Amino acid sequence: MASSPATRVAGRIAVPVLGLFWLAVTTVPFLFMVMTTFKTQEESYSSSVWALPESLNFVNYADVLSGPFLTYLKNSVMVVAISVVLIVLISAMAAYAFARIRFRFNEALFGLIVAGMIVPIHITLVPIYLMTREIGLYDSPFALIGPYVATSLPISVFILTEFMRQIPKELEEAARLDGCGPFTIFFKIFFPLSGPGLSTIAIYNAIMLWNEFIFAYVLTSSTSTRTLPLAIWDYQGQYTSNIPAILAVVTLTSLPLVVAYAFGQEKIVKGMMAGSVKG
Amino acid sequence: MTSITLSGVNKSFGANFPVIRDVDLEIADGEFCVFLGPSGCGKSTLLRMVAGLEMAYSGQIRIGDRVVDKVEPADRQVAMVFQNYALYPHMSVYENMAFGLRQAKTPKDEIDRRVKEAARILQIEPLLDRMPKALSGGQRQRVAIGRAIVRQPKVFLFDEPLSNLDAALRVHMRSEIATLHRNFPAASMIYVTHDQTEAMALADKIVLLHAGKDMLKHGSIAQVGKPLDLYHRPRNLFVAGFLGSPTMNFIAATFIGQETAGAHVALKGGEELLVPVDGSKLAAGAPVTLGVRPEHLAPVPGPAGQTLTRKVSAVEHFGEYSFVYLDGGTPAPLIAKVPGDGGVKAGDTASYQAPADCCHLFDADGIALTQI
Ligand SMILES: Nc1ncnc2c1ncn2[C@@H]1O[C@H](COP(=O)(O)OP(=O)(O)O)[C@@H](O)[C@H]1O
Ligand SMILES: [Mg+2]
Repeated sequence: MASSPATRVAGRIAVPVLGLFWLAVTTVPFLFMVMTTFKTQEESYSSSVWALPESLNFVNYADVLSGPFLTYLKNSVMVVAISVVLIVLISAMAAYAFARIRFRFNEALFGLIVAGMIVPIHITLVPIYLMTREIGLYDSPFALIGPYVATSLPISVFILTEFMRQIPKELEEAARLDGCGPFTIFFKIFFPLSGPGLSTIAIYNAIMLWNEFIFAYVLTSSTSTRTLPLAIWDYQGQYTSNIPAILAVVTLTSLPLVVAYAFGQEKIVKGMMAGSVKG
Repeated sequence: MTSITLSGVNKSFGANFPVIRDVDLEIADGEFCVFLGPSGCGKSTLLRMVAGLEMAYSGQIRIGDRVVDKVEPADRQVAMVFQNYALYPHMSVYENMAFGLRQAKTPKDEIDRRVKEAARILQIEPLLDRMPKALSGGQRQRVAIGRAIVRQPKVFLFDEPLSNLDAALRVHMRSEIATLHRNFPAASMIYVTHDQTEAMALADKIVLLHAGKDMLKHGSIAQVGKPLDLYHRPRNLFVAGFLGSPTMNFIAATFIGQETAGAHVALKGGEELLVPVDGSKLAAGAPVTLGVRPEHLAPVPGPAGQTLTRKVSAVEHFGEYSFVYLDGGTPAPLIAKVPGDGGVKAGDTASYQAPADCCHLFDADGIALTQI
């Protein structure tokens, strides 16, 4: 598209302005939350909500961390880590098959899996709840792994299949001439070369599952088995009126993602772009 | 024994899309064989069948004494260099070359020895630790060749290995591939290209392939032979027109009669010529096509009956030589390739000698009449 100087200048102004606006929209609530966690309960009632805390007061954090928070954290980390590893491995193998192996029902199966993306997870809640009870996994953090992996696979397989279709056919043929069978080709060629696609999948699913609430709510019931999103829920009951404490829980919950982003920002952005920009 | 034999080989993609038809071919031990033909004629497909990358075909392929139709690519003792190099992007140059040997569980010091030896031959020793994306096109090409060398194959397969390089580098790498062939005299080579210059420069044997309708009618192979055989004795119009640049001039003609010295023909332009071929099977008045290469049209008057006199429609000067465009070819204008500036200009009428032993005659089916 040809662009006149005027539209280019407008673009040069509009883009940063919109960017700053978006920055405000996303960071102001976060900063507000962090600020409030340093207030005492009384302070949060007596002063304006916009006022800065009187002092840097860690009492809410101490309070939260002395409770079962670390148990929730441990459960979350375990469930998300195992699920993401499984998702990456299974969807990569499936994607390789769909992208490169010619078999009779390739397209039909791929279509079916992709169609899985449009199934709302809520209609699966009751059957999954019943099945989980039946196999005796109810109220265990492991009960979450199955549904987490299953509901994440369609989009992951979809993204990775597209990704692997871009890998030149000749690489696979060169590997065949070099003596590789399908498994070696997958693990030594396709898996490493799908790095950006795999990190997209891993990051996307880690964020989704870290925040996942509804399955965790339905499939677990004890403090010792629940994950972080439920911690917020539990604390809401426990500290009905202690808003700074609740926000401390929320802050601590989002902290791992914020830290991960701060350190892995470049990789994350690259991964997210990987699907759209050809290597 | 690393001769390669193809017998009765046919291949189609899907039910009604034949690509390769009736190929019978013998490539001798240590021979440099070039598959040449227009784009889409099935050169790569034929090569990939030898490599084992296309397995579904009818007929038989033998490498040495072994029928390889059901043998996996890795077990055929062939190595292939791909057009786009197909280097593993996530491995260093060293690892790219070592990968196949590692798969074959070759001992570590043996791998190291072979990789370094290949790197030395190809002068890429300083690049061994680099990743492919940090290499130039020519360097990638060398690594791809290195990857083939370390496997010590009995057959090297090249699929248009030079077509991604710029012109100067292409000429240089071409001579390196010729050197490579001399350094590995025991290995046979099959080299695919659509570039006749490469084919003429490298080949011991050229296999020129038909495309499309010709392939359906006559089978895939148009002609097999030494480069100069194909140049001097093309078997049909397709071969005659494919080799040579600019392409051979074709002039519609009528067969008059056979004499001991050759066939007597009358050109559409009016001249009568004697072509030293055996036309005894033709009836008088049969339509034929005379072929004569631009470089064989000499700007000196010849004996009567071997001279074409035509109006000049254009002249192109290249310094060393010129192309003189003349009216009256079939269907394109005639071209004479003459030394210097040619001495004529557009609008002139000029005469060119077509030496008898440089003339070709094709019958109505486009088949060349035997030279006598
Ligand atoms: N895997 C395939 N499926 C269907 N058609 C193919 C396939 N590979 C090649 N072809 C077709 O076969 C013909 C020959 O292809 P190819 O051997 O690549 O030609 P060349 O190398 O001579 O240019 C082309 O028309 C091409 O479109
Ligand atoms: Mg090709």
